[in-house]
Amino acid sequence: MAIINQATKELQVKVVYYGPGKGGKTTNLEQVHSNVQNVRERGKLVSLATSSDRTLFFDFLPVEAMAIKGFKTKFQLYTVPGQVIYNTTRQLVLRGVDGIVFVADSQYDKMAENVESFQNLEDNLKTLRLNFPDIPYVLQYNKRDLPNIAPIEYMEFLLNNREVQVPSFPSVASKCEGVFEALNMITRLLLNKFINEGARKTS
Amino acid sequence: MPGLPPLIAEDVQVLDAALDDLLRKSEATAALIIDKGGPLIGQRGAVDQFDTTTISALAAGSFCATQAIAGLLGEADFASIYQQGERYSLLFCNIDENVLLIVIFKAELSVGAVKYYAAATIRQVGGQLHAAQQRAPETSVDLVSMNVLDVSSIFRKQP
Repeated sequence: MAIINQATKELQVKVVYYGPGKGGKTTNLEQVHSNVQNVRERGKLVSLATSSDRTLFFDFLPVEAMAIKGFKTKFQLYTVPGQVIYNTTRQLVLRGVDGIVFVADSQYDKMAENVESFQNLEDNLKTLRLNFPDIPYVLQYNKRDLPNIAPIEYMEFLLNNREVQVPSFPSVASKCEGVFEALNMITRLLLNKFINEGARKTS
Repeated sequence: MPGLPPLIAEDVQVLDAALDDLLRKSEATAALIIDKGGPLIGQRGAVDQFDTTTISALAAGSFCATQAIAGLLGEADFASIYQQGERYSLLFCNIDENVLLIVIFKAELSVGAVKYYAAATIRQVGGQLHAAQQRAPETSVDLVSMNVLDVSSIFRKQP
């Protein structure tokens, strides 16, 4: 749940990058950290990783956007550990989530892991008593530069085949392609949601 | 899980006053109120000395991980966690379902005293957040003046 402080006109939003292990979630945060330019403040990228650079708990990057119509908007970007065994940790990181970027691996042999991870996301949100349709999310089909990748249409069929389709982006996170597109879209979906909810409450 | 309600000026004043009172009585260095999801809600004291945004995210993760361990031990929860350092020590205290109090204090201070004064802070902060929660459905959230068209590329990549 976003933190709204009307006294200080501050909005804090939590975005979680979710997806199978070695799919590129940490790379997304590294690219945002290295390449973002128009922000008020870019915090330190903190990674709680194993000695072999696999995410153990989470990566965390705080960024404060330029004020939007007087509101200071702080984004907290997190990744979860993708490996199956770290499910309790994924649940902890999902606590208080406002929006999700699901980073799928485009390689054919990773499709089962993508689907399993997406199902795991749904299960974990249920465990946290969060209603999946209420949480804005976007899909990022990563590693489009590798050989043996599945067509976008196939990935859409597997992961974006619901009543309401969500925005999806092909990406090569290691070259920062599709990274900002996904981040800006989840930001836009989130702010739209807060404004609509605010409008409902004020009407 | 109900989230933190929107906070208005009155809430922030009460939270700040409660933290100031704790710092004055306990002689602690800084005190933070954080959401268990990671964001910082309020902070007082010598906060410029520390990266409180990152401390908040890590403390929330650490506390919630410890609560998960409590569950595995058959404990309802661990109400507080104490970390002893050489220069600074830390006390994490549960306030309610959503919120934690973090106190940073010089290692030579007694944790017992900090804990004693923190108990009153927990009651004050918890009471005010409860009042805010009761008020929340009627509170207007003044975000309608934000123009989302302006934020289609809120984050821009370096050329």
